[in-house]
Amino acid sequence: MDPKVITLTVNGRKHQVALPPNITLLRALREYLGYVDVKNGCEKGDCGACTVLLNGKAVNSCLVLAWQANNAEIITTSGLGSAENPHPIHRAFADEGAAQCGYCTPGMVISAKALLDENPHPTEAEIREAISGNLCRCTGYGQIVRAIQKAAEIINKEGDAS
Amino acid sequence: MKTKVKPLPPVNLPELRQVGKPLRRVDAMGKIVGKTLYAADMFMPNMLHAKVFRSTEPHARIKRLDVSKARALPGVVCVMTNEDLPQGILVTDMPGQTGQRRRASSDTHVLAKDIVRFVGDPIALVAAETLAIAEQALKLIEIEYEPLPAVFDVIEAMKPNAPVVTAPNNIVSQYKVRKGNVKAGMEAADIIVENTFSVPFVDHAYLEPEAGLAWIDDKGVINIRVCTQVVEHFRSIALALGVPQNKLHIHGTMVGGGFGGKEDITVEIFIGLLTQKTHRPVMLEYTREESILAHSKRHPYQITHRTGVTRDGKITAAEITLIANSGAYVYLSPYVLLYSTGTATGPYRVDNLSIDSYAVATNNPFTSAFRGFGVPQACFAHELQMDDIARKLGLDPYELRSKNYLKTGDYGVNQKITTAAWLEETATRVLEALGEKTPSSGSIKVGQGIASYMQSYGRIMWFHDTSQAWVTLEMDGTVTIRSGIPDLGAGQVSAVCQIASEVLGVPLEEITVYHTDSALTPLAGTSTATRQLFMSGNAVFQAASAIRQVIIERAAQKLEESPENLDLADRKVIVKSDPNQYLPLREVIALCASEGKPLSNLALFKAPFTDPIDPENVQGPIWPDFTFGAFGAEVAVDTETGEITLLKTVACHDVGRAINPAAVCGQIEGGGVQGIGYATMEEVIVKDGHILTPSLSEYLIPTACDVPSTQVIILESGTGLGPFGAKGIGEPALTPAAPAIVNAVTDAIGVQIKSIPITPEKILSALNQNQNT
Amino acid sequence: MLPEFDLVMPENLQQALENLGQRNPGVVPVAGGTNLTVDMRSRRHTPATLVNIEHIQELTGILQEDDRIEIGSCVTIAEILKSPIIAAVAPALIEAARGFANPLIRNRATIGGNLADASPAADTAPSLLVHNAQVELWSKKNRRILPLDEFFVGVRKTVLQPDEIIKSVHVPKTNRPSASSFYKLGLRKADAISVASVAVYLEKKNGACGQVRIAMGSVAPKPLRAYAAEELLTGKHLSLKLIEEAAKLAAEASSPISDIRGSAEYRRRMVFVLTRRLLTHLAEMMELKDW
Repeated sequence: MDPKVITLTVNGRKHQVALPPNITLLRALREYLGYVDVKNGCEKGDCGACTVLLNGKAVNSCLVLAWQANNAEIITTSGLGSAENPHPIHRAFADEGAAQCGYCTPGMVISAKALLDENPHPTEAEIREAISGNLCRCTGYGQIVRAIQKAAEIINKEGDAS
Repeated sequence: MKTKVKPLPPVNLPELRQVGKPLRRVDAMGKIVGKTLYAADMFMPNMLHAKVFRSTEPHARIKRLDVSKARALPGVVCVMTNEDLPQGILVTDMPGQTGQRRRASSDTHVLAKDIVRFVGDPIALVAAETLAIAEQALKLIEIEYEPLPAVFDVIEAMKPNAPVVTAPNNIVSQYKVRKGNVKAGMEAADIIVENTFSVPFVDHAYLEPEAGLAWIDDKGVINIRVCTQVVEHFRSIALALGVPQNKLHIHGTMVGGGFGGKEDITVEIFIGLLTQKTHRPVMLEYTREESILAHSKRHPYQITHRTGVTRDGKITAAEITLIANSGAYVYLSPYVLLYSTGTATGPYRVDNLSIDSYAVATNNPFTSAFRGFGVPQACFAHELQMDDIARKLGLDPYELRSKNYLKTGDYGVNQKITTAAWLEETATRVLEALGEKTPSSGSIKVGQGIASYMQSYGRIMWFHDTSQAWVTLEMDGTVTIRSGIPDLGAGQVSAVCQIASEVLGVPLEEITVYHTDSALTPLAGTSTATRQLFMSGNAVFQAASAIRQVIIERAAQKLEESPENLDLADRKVIVKSDPNQYLPLREVIALCASEGKPLSNLALFKAPFTDPIDPENVQGPIWPDFTFGAFGAEVAVDTETGEITLLKTVACHDVGRAINPAAVCGQIEGGGVQGIGYATMEEVIVKDGHILTPSLSEYLIPTACDVPSTQVIILESGTGLGPFGAKGIGEPALTPAAPAIVNAVTDAIGVQIKSIPITPEKILSALNQNQNT
Repeated sequence: MLPEFDLVMPENLQQALENLGQRNPGVVPVAGGTNLTVDMRSRRHTPATLVNIEHIQELTGILQEDDRIEIGSCVTIAEILKSPIIAAVAPALIEAARGFANPLIRNRATIGGNLADASPAADTAPSLLVHNAQVELWSKKNRRILPLDEFFVGVRKTVLQPDEIIKSVHVPKTNRPSASSFYKLGLRKADAISVASVAVYLEKKNGACGQVRIAMGSVAPKPLRAYAAEELLTGKHLSLKLIEEAAKLAAEASSPISDIRGSAEYRRRMVFVLTRRLLTHLAEMMELKDW
């Protein structure tokens, strides 16, 4: 159980942090590094609130041991853009009313990002499938699906930059 | 489609500048980019971590409770049991805003005293230096139980010799309605249709588990930062902690979903006690499993309808019995039961009516508020009953409904309908949107179903509900709103900003709202009962209007115009007859300020007030007004596996006036999908008091793949009691969805299923039973 | 929180196997962690030591051999879903991967983990069983190859020794015309644990049914084959009646339990329905239908 110093690059910023082995990536991000935009909804991979990009792939950070992410690149919603300089996915979510309580949103945004990185022209069914690991209790998903469609349009037109 | 779309009556809805536009919500971007700090997202230096030790028995006497080993564990700072509490009273009744008395029977203990009544009953609190130590300490708490006879079924619990969960007889609440002449009505009927329907325990399953952080500040005030629907709980929390009300400060956060589950007190008292004892900040964050164990559930109901109908479909009489499972503690059961009693007949006129309703205590998880507050259960029953009557009479389900719909001026169960009751208008639009039924193919059978409903918005009027809002026009022309509204994600704070934006002619992005603070923002009342737009929308409207008047009058003087000829728009005071003539708003503000005119207003909006009704015959006004609407669904049922696929869903509601149509649409779609989950998959399975669905692996809610996009049809009668004629839509959105789905499934398979969730297995067994008979 | 444990981060397979051998007992390999982390958090499983095998070269990748493909045990479900090699050899496994949990889990969960976890509901098991898959097991001292059918022993029990790991999963290729399919019945359309699942593999031989294999999940203590049903069909012309009889035999071979997701009776019935459905579907696809 001795801690070990690991390196996590989060949203482009390199962190070195000493962690014991039983700390999940979720807890490392939230409690040790302060990335509280990554939410804890169930801590067992059922809800997707803690979704991050881990070396480009959307994963539940609650199921990854932080040591396993040593030297990895991690992207969270706050790494895609900011309120002042939002990412096209952020803008589309805001314009389509895709965030209600907002607790699933950071994870939802990351799943959308992973989808659009791989598939710039997704169908509605592909979008629904891509966010099927991200539960939302408020929206009924319709506005989220439309936001991702809109984000795809913006990105295809203007590019992926925030 | 056979039915013709009912034309809308003429309405007078003035075109507005801000209201009625699908603007980006003021809270949206912060949430989306991850800036919004929820209850679990803020830490403090020197902070302790708390855990709660809970009962594993559904009903037992605590023979021995020994926390000494937990206390001795290095890193444990504090362990508390009932013995250590200063006061220990937990108020589970409605938060008293205006000092009305609470039911004595609703008070219970913060931590179990001698007896535990359900699995999950809190017994002890731990605060430790780390979460890991706190978790370890829980394992060192020793407890011995003496099991007591327990009762789980409501019918059993009503029997004379049943184990007593709530004295004297487990009936925590009871109402009667006696109206007209039921006997004569039944005799006048051509057929009498009787059915019993049942609905299960359901969990709110908001994405954000309960969490809070408490600390004591330099004034000796206990501060609690928490996700709650009710900052007014500060009074009950102060009572439990034994401190004056002005020494308890609730900082409400953006709530990661509430739906009624954060309407009762959750973590507040626990962390308040621990910070009081340790003088250190204390964080308590429920795990998902603890959330499901600890918070309320939607009431299971058994509802029996016996309805007399003439051959041509006119209801002549109804006898209805409702039995709600109240679980181990009273909480809001009496009110939930009143809501289902008052809407037991749905939006139909029944002049000869008898209703008996009961809320019954059992050793199950306690039940309390959940979006719809008793009305979804009532609606499930009356809408399945309507379809069954239609089937028995060979009538079209809509035709039967339309013959019995309430009209403005008619009486529902207890009170007169005073605003637009657009039942035909909504239902026919749903039918039109559903269109022709998709043909069935092989073992896949397709069905369509609809449901109509009525649901109140605004609280029970004898609570004498009020909301306050404080609006300020700053010197630079921006606007500050202070309001105690908790925002659950429905757009509560954004809506009041949009209203102020309309009234003051200031763009939405130039409005900042400070909200949900029991000490620093004027109390706006609870975010419950679909009341915030109605109540706080009106309060903000009043406050903003008062400032508007000051500005307009001063500008009128300066422009030498009559005030009636002036308007506020785009940061200007403009002359209506000649918009090129105007004064910049900032100029008028400067004038007013230099002359000492008030640019800030604290308004109090009062709902209509009434006196309590007589539970022996529930008659007279209870709610301020109702929302009306309909939901429709087309489903495909695989008759070999029982699997259901939703092909189409449509929702149509008269929302009075849509302040923000995008937000309204979000409420309607989201509420509908909660109803779809209720119909098809959601059930907190409780066996002998133990929850068998402890996490989101077992308690399933719909994913994006389980639902189609709902077609949303927003109607605006402009007749609501909210600002600009708005009604409420938060809870109503959910209510009709589940019965519409079940009616569609019944239409598909030809067998009525009378309980939800309609799992594949339930569908298959219904089909089999039908084959056998 | 997760309980305390030691985590070893070997750089190659040799180191991993040495660790598994030395630190025994209470040592467990971890890759995607989608089952293990959950089990550890709930204290259902509290190993003293984990050996991280996620990035070990020898356990990743999908290899094409002449007579088989070899799927490294740390190949994720997402990788399987995208693999044209697997799609060509084992279409049923692609279908299983498609219905496997959700995209987030699929990016982490591995085929080796799914099999080693040995849940009766393991989504990849029925498809692999009907494709006659084998598991290659390595320990420091020993290497062996076993038919998957012999790998599972009971609920969450396998023949895997504490010092052994699954090195890879072998799926044989065939030159004969064949097809396979898988169906999982869950309580919702995504991210659901199966209530019952069935996989069927069918070969065509002289215009009749050649080799046929049927396997089922969530209806017995372990994923299992329906041998009697297979025997009935082999070499026959496929009539609806025969298919129905085979489906009945499959249902009889199941021994489901009742739980919160479904009753034993319903599950058995679903084995019948799904087997009949898949057989009918494949017979039509292979132009083997005799009706």
